[in-house]
Amino acid sequence: MLPFLIRRLSGAVVIMFLIGAFTFFLFYSIPQDFAELACGKNCSPQNIAVIRENLGLDQPIAAQFRDFMMGIVAGRDFPQGHCPAPCLGVSFASGDMVWDSIIDRFPLTLSLTLGGLVVFLVVGLGAGLIAAWKRGTAVDKALSGASIVLSSFQIYLLGPIVLGLLVYSTGLMENPKYVSPFDSPGGWFLGMLIPWVVMATIFTAQYTRMSRSTMIEQLQEEHVRTARAKGMSRGYVFFRYAWRGSLIPIVTIIGIDLSSLLSGAVVTEFTFDLAGLGRLAVESSVNKDIPLTMGVMMFGAFFILMLNIIVDLAYAFIDPRVRLS
Amino acid sequence: MKTDRSRQTRAIVVALAAGALVLTGCSGSGGDTTDKSAKRKDAARQQEPVKYADEAASTGPAAPVAGAEEGGVITGYMQSDFSHLDPGQIYVSDANQLGNLIHRGLTNFHSDKDGNLSIVGDIATDSGQSSDGGKTWTFKIKKGVKDEDGNVITSKDVRHSIERTYAKFIFDGPNYVQTWLSGDDYRKALPDGPYKGKHLPDSVLETPDDSTVVFHFKQARPDLPQALAMPGYSIVPEKQDTKEKYDKAPAALGPYKISEFKPGKSMTLVRNTNWDPKTDSVRHQYVDGYNFPLTVSIPSQTKRLLADQGEAKNALQFIDMVDTAQMSSVVTDKKAYARTVRGYQPYVWQMCFNLDSSEMKDKKIRDAITYAIPSASMVQADGGKYGGEVAGGLLAPTLPGFDPSYDPFGKVKKPAGDLEKAKQLLKEAGVKEGTKLTYAYSNTPRGQKQMVIVTDVLKKLGFDPQAKEIDRATFYEQIGKLDNPFDLYMTGWGQDWPSPSTVITPVYDGDLVGDGSPNYSHINDETVNKGIDEATALEPEAAAKKWEEIHHRIVEEINPCAPVYYSKTIQLYGSRIGGARYNMEASNIDINDVFIKNP
Repeated sequence: MLPFLIRRLSGAVVIMFLIGAFTFFLFYSIPQDFAELACGKNCSPQNIAVIRENLGLDQPIAAQFRDFMMGIVAGRDFPQGHCPAPCLGVSFASGDMVWDSIIDRFPLTLSLTLGGLVVFLVVGLGAGLIAAWKRGTAVDKALSGASIVLSSFQIYLLGPIVLGLLVYSTGLMENPKYVSPFDSPGGWFLGMLIPWVVMATIFTAQYTRMSRSTMIEQLQEEHVRTARAKGMSRGYVFFRYAWRGSLIPIVTIIGIDLSSLLSGAVVTEFTFDLAGLGRLAVESSVNKDIPLTMGVMMFGAFFILMLNIIVDLAYAFIDPRVRLS
Repeated sequence: MKTDRSRQTRAIVVALAAGALVLTGCSGSGGDTTDKSAKRKDAARQQEPVKYADEAASTGPAAPVAGAEEGGVITGYMQSDFSHLDPGQIYVSDANQLGNLIHRGLTNFHSDKDGNLSIVGDIATDSGQSSDGGKTWTFKIKKGVKDEDGNVITSKDVRHSIERTYAKFIFDGPNYVQTWLSGDDYRKALPDGPYKGKHLPDSVLETPDDSTVVFHFKQARPDLPQALAMPGYSIVPEKQDTKEKYDKAPAALGPYKISEFKPGKSMTLVRNTNWDPKTDSVRHQYVDGYNFPLTVSIPSQTKRLLADQGEAKNALQFIDMVDTAQMSSVVTDKKAYARTVRGYQPYVWQMCFNLDSSEMKDKKIRDAITYAIPSASMVQADGGKYGGEVAGGLLAPTLPGFDPSYDPFGKVKKPAGDLEKAKQLLKEAGVKEGTKLTYAYSNTPRGQKQMVIVTDVLKKLGFDPQAKEIDRATFYEQIGKLDNPFDLYMTGWGQDWPSPSTVITPVYDGDLVGDGSPNYSHINDETVNKGIDEATALEPEAAAKKWEEIHHRIVEEINPCAPVYYSKTIQLYGSRIGGARYNMEASNIDINDVFIKNP
């Protein structure tokens, strides 16, 4: 296990360096004067020169890259103050430290992602298990049919409908908002509930179908039939043998979906006027705020790399046949 | 001001939200047939020259708002973060509006209950005393003005506030006063600002005692009290100045101070207990505080305020206007419409011709295009009648000297354009069929819609239009380059204060032609230049006639930019907001007078 972890983490460091170098040179090779982007109304050549100096854009590109990479490892000093490691630079547009902006927005996106994940796993896997248990019955057909219908919905369609019903028309709920769960667990739960439910409705469908089909497949496996033949109860065999085996493909899909949820957070965040990493990524891109765009991209890449490692580790716990050698 | 941030909407925000609203059937019904937009009479009071008020009018407290109550918290919807918080960097509408709550300057605009505008002393005892033919201005500081930590504000703080705008980290705010004091290359006069112990000489900026500030100019500057009323010249107490960091955590002098600021997410203001109403003749402190969620898209703002549920009852659109897709829902709903403020904005959208381009040298060609532009369609592409109105001239209805009957190209009479007249002029000019014209436009939704209209009309005139899309983030920088390769482009410009000097001077003064200058047409007419020099030295009332003459010469004799439309706004607020009215100077809801009903 340990050698596996060390190998994967070492690989992740190399990949992160390559992503950092690639994105840096890709962005900075664009024939664009970023000082012009940061320049306001009095955009005289003198002002542009001042901004260029303020942003460090008057330095050779190699020196800028060196400073950028050193900042990640050891931190940097800016006129706005010291930027401790891992320093991803300073936003051209706002002057904020990029790392601070990302860390400030991350809890919302994490809440959105993990909260949505919990809801759609519980509901989706549960519905799939029930459908498999009741295979061929009206319950199975209803759940399978609903999953097909719901999977065709999109967040930007369902979100405004739910807001219209629960917030604008009836006033039953407030507009979604993020408060820290450490400050107000209740406020956090209620503020995130609508986005979770909307996300879950859409993602639940595929987990229902996936869970149902893999369960049915597992129930037909020889070891399951053997367990039943040995006299074990249907419920015990269902959960102890069939369900565990069905989790492997589901864990794989969760890993992929978590990445999708993170990258797709932009739609959820804009639909519900929430300020998370997705919105930050889009705003930085629209504003051509290169340090912020690079920072969000590198953070996203890091997060996805870590998720992949966690998913690989999870295989070993679920299925002893998998060896992490 | 070039253009306000509310109009530079983030396309993706709008596209996502608007798309969602259309899909769910939340768009307007289109049943509105009555024009309830702002009318020119609404701006009539602003067309009077601004009065400079005396000490009595500058002494607080401000006149109470009828029915005002104390308490409650107002939510101000914003779709993105404030551009700046450091006064030296403040120039555009979002920060101007916020600045009025937290910052204070030497002077301030005051709009009385009838909407008449005047300049009063803010931390100064009056609007300033001029001498030496307007070259010297003296301000006395009121007693009892403190920052949020209780530090008394003195003339040294005023000097510090002006001198720090010479430092390199200040580059986004206004530079009128700096250039008036030290010339166009003003930074050389104090390269490090006041931070290394150096100051401007007393012959330029003088503080003979703790309560007196004296400005010395090389020529008369009658507009100084208005320039100093810009939030960009608000006071930064010397003790509180943290240079670059000040843009995130400024010290308040106004009735509210920042209690929490999460950049890009939210801001919370609470009462500033060191603000003394007796020193302020403009602002009130009726509510306990403000919440600013900084991520609420314009369609969502409108939807929430139309529904008027929960928190939205205490909310208002801080700087944005009603979503155009939901406009008819607002104006056809009597209760919702009663919760709107409406008015003209200071921007005039105009088609500027690059006078250095060989294709644009002939005035008959410029006149032909001016006649042909279908102004009504251009307005329609920018929110329709609630977002604008066909323009006859280049001065907005919000400016002193505005003449509603002025329409030398008959644009108001023929808002669809006059193609026959245009073709006749082109024939006289001998323009060859298929002449290429490069039209530069910003890649905003509005710019893209207007590009279709402009290229269509150019084709009808026999030109071969080449549409050149420019990134919205650098549009003005690209067309602001002297050797830009374009023939014509749409630009918007608005006053910095209610005087033509802040429109005609920056946009049409030939002395300012250069890279980065807002003189986008490169007009350089001796008569205009001379007239500008004369008018800027006159008192506002005397200058009005002169500005009118210059304006007529620009439009009729040179035509560097075709007038297209004046911009307007309509803003919505919740049912528990009291005291709401349109502030013509701020071009937004008057944030000084609002309160919560039954808090």
